[in-house]
Amino acid sequence: MGKHSSYDAIVAGAGHNGLTTACYLAKAGLKVLVVEKNDWIGGAAVSRSLHDGWTYSNCSYVCSLLRREIVRDLELPRFGLQVIPYEGGASFTKDGDYFAYMSDHDALRREIARHSSKDVDAYERFSQTVIRQCRFIRPFLLRNAPDPTSLKPRDISELLFLVKQAHGLGAKELGETLRFWSMSIGDFLDEHFETDLIKTHIAGAGIIGTGLGVYSPGTAYVLLHHYMGDVDGAIGAWGFARGGMGAISNALGAAFEEAGGEIVMGSGVDKFLVKGGKAVGVALENGDTYYAPIIASNMDVKRTFLKHMDQGVLPADFTKAVERFKIRGSSGKLNIALDSLPKFPAAPEGATFMRGDLHCSASLNELERAYDDWKEGYWSKDPYFDLLIPSQIDPTMAPQGKHMMTVFVQYAPYDLNVDGVRSGENWNDATRKAFADCVFDKIEQGCPDIRKHVVHAEVRSPWDIENEVGLTEGNIFQGELTFDQLLFNRPIPGYAQYDTPIDGMYIVGSSAHPGGGVMAAPGANAAREILRTIGKGKLMPKFAA
Amino acid sequence: MSKPSDLTYDAVVIGAGHNGLAAATTLARQGKSVCVIESRDGIGGMARNAAIAPGVVAPKMAHLLYNLNPKTLKELGITAPKSVSLPTVSLADDGRHVVIQGDLVIYADGSAHPEAATFAALHKRLTKFAALLGQMSLKTPPSLAGGLMDMATLQELAGLAKLGIGLKRMGKKDMREFLRILLSNAYDLILDDFADAPLAGMLAADAVRGAYAGPRSPGTVFSMMYRLGNGGDVRLPMGGMGAVADAFANAAKLAGCDIRTGCGVAQVIVENDTARGVILADGSVINARSVLSSIGAFQTMQMAGVQHYDTEAVRRLRNLRNKGTVAKVNLVLSGAPDFVGLDAKLTAGRLLIATSATYVERAFNPVKYGDMSNAPVIEAVIPSLSDPSLCSDGQHILSANVQYVPYALAGGWTPAARQKLLELTLDRLEVYAPGLGRLVTHSEVLTPLDIETQTGAPGGHWHHAEMGIDQILTLRPVNGMARYGFGIAGYYLCGASAHPGGDVMGTAGRNAARQLLKDGVLA
Repeated sequence: MGKHSSYDAIVAGAGHNGLTTACYLAKAGLKVLVVEKNDWIGGAAVSRSLHDGWTYSNCSYVCSLLRREIVRDLELPRFGLQVIPYEGGASFTKDGDYFAYMSDHDALRREIARHSSKDVDAYERFSQTVIRQCRFIRPFLLRNAPDPTSLKPRDISELLFLVKQAHGLGAKELGETLRFWSMSIGDFLDEHFETDLIKTHIAGAGIIGTGLGVYSPGTAYVLLHHYMGDVDGAIGAWGFARGGMGAISNALGAAFEEAGGEIVMGSGVDKFLVKGGKAVGVALENGDTYYAPIIASNMDVKRTFLKHMDQGVLPADFTKAVERFKIRGSSGKLNIALDSLPKFPAAPEGATFMRGDLHCSASLNELERAYDDWKEGYWSKDPYFDLLIPSQIDPTMAPQGKHMMTVFVQYAPYDLNVDGVRSGENWNDATRKAFADCVFDKIEQGCPDIRKHVVHAEVRSPWDIENEVGLTEGNIFQGELTFDQLLFNRPIPGYAQYDTPIDGMYIVGSSAHPGGGVMAAPGANAAREILRTIGKGKLMPKFAA
Repeated sequence: MSKPSDLTYDAVVIGAGHNGLAAATTLARQGKSVCVIESRDGIGGMARNAAIAPGVVAPKMAHLLYNLNPKTLKELGITAPKSVSLPTVSLADDGRHVVIQGDLVIYADGSAHPEAATFAALHKRLTKFAALLGQMSLKTPPSLAGGLMDMATLQELAGLAKLGIGLKRMGKKDMREFLRILLSNAYDLILDDFADAPLAGMLAADAVRGAYAGPRSPGTVFSMMYRLGNGGDVRLPMGGMGAVADAFANAAKLAGCDIRTGCGVAQVIVENDTARGVILADGSVINARSVLSSIGAFQTMQMAGVQHYDTEAVRRLRNLRNKGTVAKVNLVLSGAPDFVGLDAKLTAGRLLIATSATYVERAFNPVKYGDMSNAPVIEAVIPSLSDPSLCSDGQHILSANVQYVPYALAGGWTPAARQKLLELTLDRLEVYAPGLGRLVTHSEVLTPLDIETQTGAPGGHWHHAEMGIDQILTLRPVNGMARYGFGIAGYYLCGASAHPGGDVMGTAGRNAARQLLKDGVLA
């Protein structure tokens, strides 16, 4: 029989959201325990040394969405977090050309003009709209989603905030906002740009991590989800966490421990313990049991309620709603150790845009076809990828002179179709190798010598990500970012404010509003709800709207 | 400009489709003098009959009624032709065809369907939600002009508030469900509760009927509910769809409208930013105090002259999504076909080839790249089985909507491509009705491009503009032009690209005319 201990609150899962909740609860004076199934913390924000001398951010790989209010409030830089912005990016074509995105405005205009003079003006209109939409949505990230069916003062005041923000937009802008939220990224780009390569370079952000195609309505919003972050206040900018994404989790972990928190690693939750409709504790897989009146689950809703809780304690309606919550695996990942910096012959020597996100997709139809493959249970024959070489900017990621490459691949199915049978079990060494080969073939379009440089490669299918990290289907957002699963619908209508049908039980991960990305907003919002519920709301810092 | 004639109408309506006629009738019944101008020789637009072979009258394009609103009919004094309610038969590859009528589901052999109760529950839920949304179809979309805090806007929003109250009355549980599924995709909604078989296929096919979308596209639950706006009954009008158009035209004439066919409008006369009448293709001028247009939104703008619009309006209208995806195939048969496993009553029903929701999604894939589907979704009806007056000598007409077929086919709509489409359609039908091909004595293929050419509907799109969430209500046809008034004083859009959109119901026309009166244009 294992240990028994009592705490004020237990957080299940040491992902960045779980740790954020834990930090705020500990800072409010609660005795908090975090339990983590892996021997390391971080969930999908980790730095791992899987090949001697190299560090992989082997899940999430770039940083922008992490709310700066939280970074400041928890003093994460003091605990080692440093975000280094990168500039630009590029898409390479089969015939040796490329489109480069550059953060220098004039350089970007010249580059766009190289492809189309019309698109120079189109880009101004496009970026104006996107920035406006980002400004509109950002204040909502650190607030609760109002429940439109509720007449509670809190919900009404959140609704009024929404109305006030919408009012500030003016009539035309309000219409534009409604339209933008319901459009496909493909249609949105088609009505701005004429150059397919430029459209494709931008469109990737509308599909990354989703089970949607570039022409599926709602993907313009997903683009926003990748643009609404910032690095040092530069909206839409992305950066690397020095030392890999684990630097974020490690800083949160250190802040938590300084506030008196305790982390137990190496054994996951077997069961959430419920008595008389109240959460009372967690039983771990190793037999240890811990008790607390507040339980915060950083796991996604499916995992929390369908795998680790006795079904009898949940209302049937709720269980059904959790079952139909969509968490679809749609992306894979290659983490690669390189013996030297590979050449992309089309790019000028030393071009700064090579330090950013690189792609080899050249048309929107190509991306849409990649989605069609995935719908049938195959990885895309002609995949989209988001490729970066962070060691160019952050030398801590690889031995001197060597490099580390991260390749995020869209689309890869969770339940792989082999001979008409769709199953996660179909992911094995042979299928993983075939998948990697397909990706390498495509990388060769921009970087013909890539295979010669590979020292080690870790290939991760959605199935692998699920098994290691604990994300259902390996979905990076803990649930699709479609309208039926956003705001007051996320994760379950009626339970969109981090609460659950079980008293004292909370959902604090990306399954909750405002959703995925290494943002830490769900974790912070959940902490605010928990503290408010136990009458300690005043101990939660107020973030400026 | 040629010398104006003495006669000045209160209103000229461009196009004698059901929406143009509904707009005209609405005005005429308020004592206004109205002239309807139709470029083709007959009235009716997409709701027309055509004698496509000796002794055979076919529904040229539209063939069934879904959404005729009894309130609109009564208001316009339209006596709708007799119609019969048809069962829907979702054909199955294993011969276990599924019959759907209202909220009832059984197998074609009369045995019980295991998902009947689930279907009845879903149908009830969606119909309830649809009725709520239906309230909005008879109103002008709310203006957001004053921002949300403005009093006038708030009054306009009272309509929405009513919707809100309706929602509240449903209770928390239903309201939450409504808000969850409203913008969702049909595929997930269906497969959450149903096995992916012909019943699911029928639901998926009806969610995307006429749309440039597959069931997995978000927003398709909305289109599913739109179809159920008046209960979802599928009706076949006696005398063909032409009889419906005739009923609209008769009401217009009865109300005192002039209807002129055979010579279209070449240009709308605009003076001092005000519509003053039209110039016809033959150069004659008709003066009027207002002009209503039931043609496409972009074409409506062109008719008045692009120079009257700011560049943003032009850009928005040019980018209107209106790619048609449905072809019409009319087959003249020498005798009644024999569908395996269907009795005479069911053979006369609405026959659907949509064997699963996945089948429908797969049919959508190729159209995205300019190809036609090799295994299309087909909605077929043999109206002559219910209405023998349509055909003589034992002949029959099989009318099929074939989806998905691109407007702009890669390689163009050559005779060979048309032949391919015909053969594809026959091949699919033969699976369920072996020998059907041998009965065919005459055939007609109308691609989306043909539908555009013959009716003027942009893109050959049934609804003139895609009924996506980004193009409905306040955003229909485009942001800032949703209240029927079309940029120029006295100039109104009254066709399917205006709120609430397509289907043979005349509501857009009726709403536009009422808004024109409300705006005081003819005061």
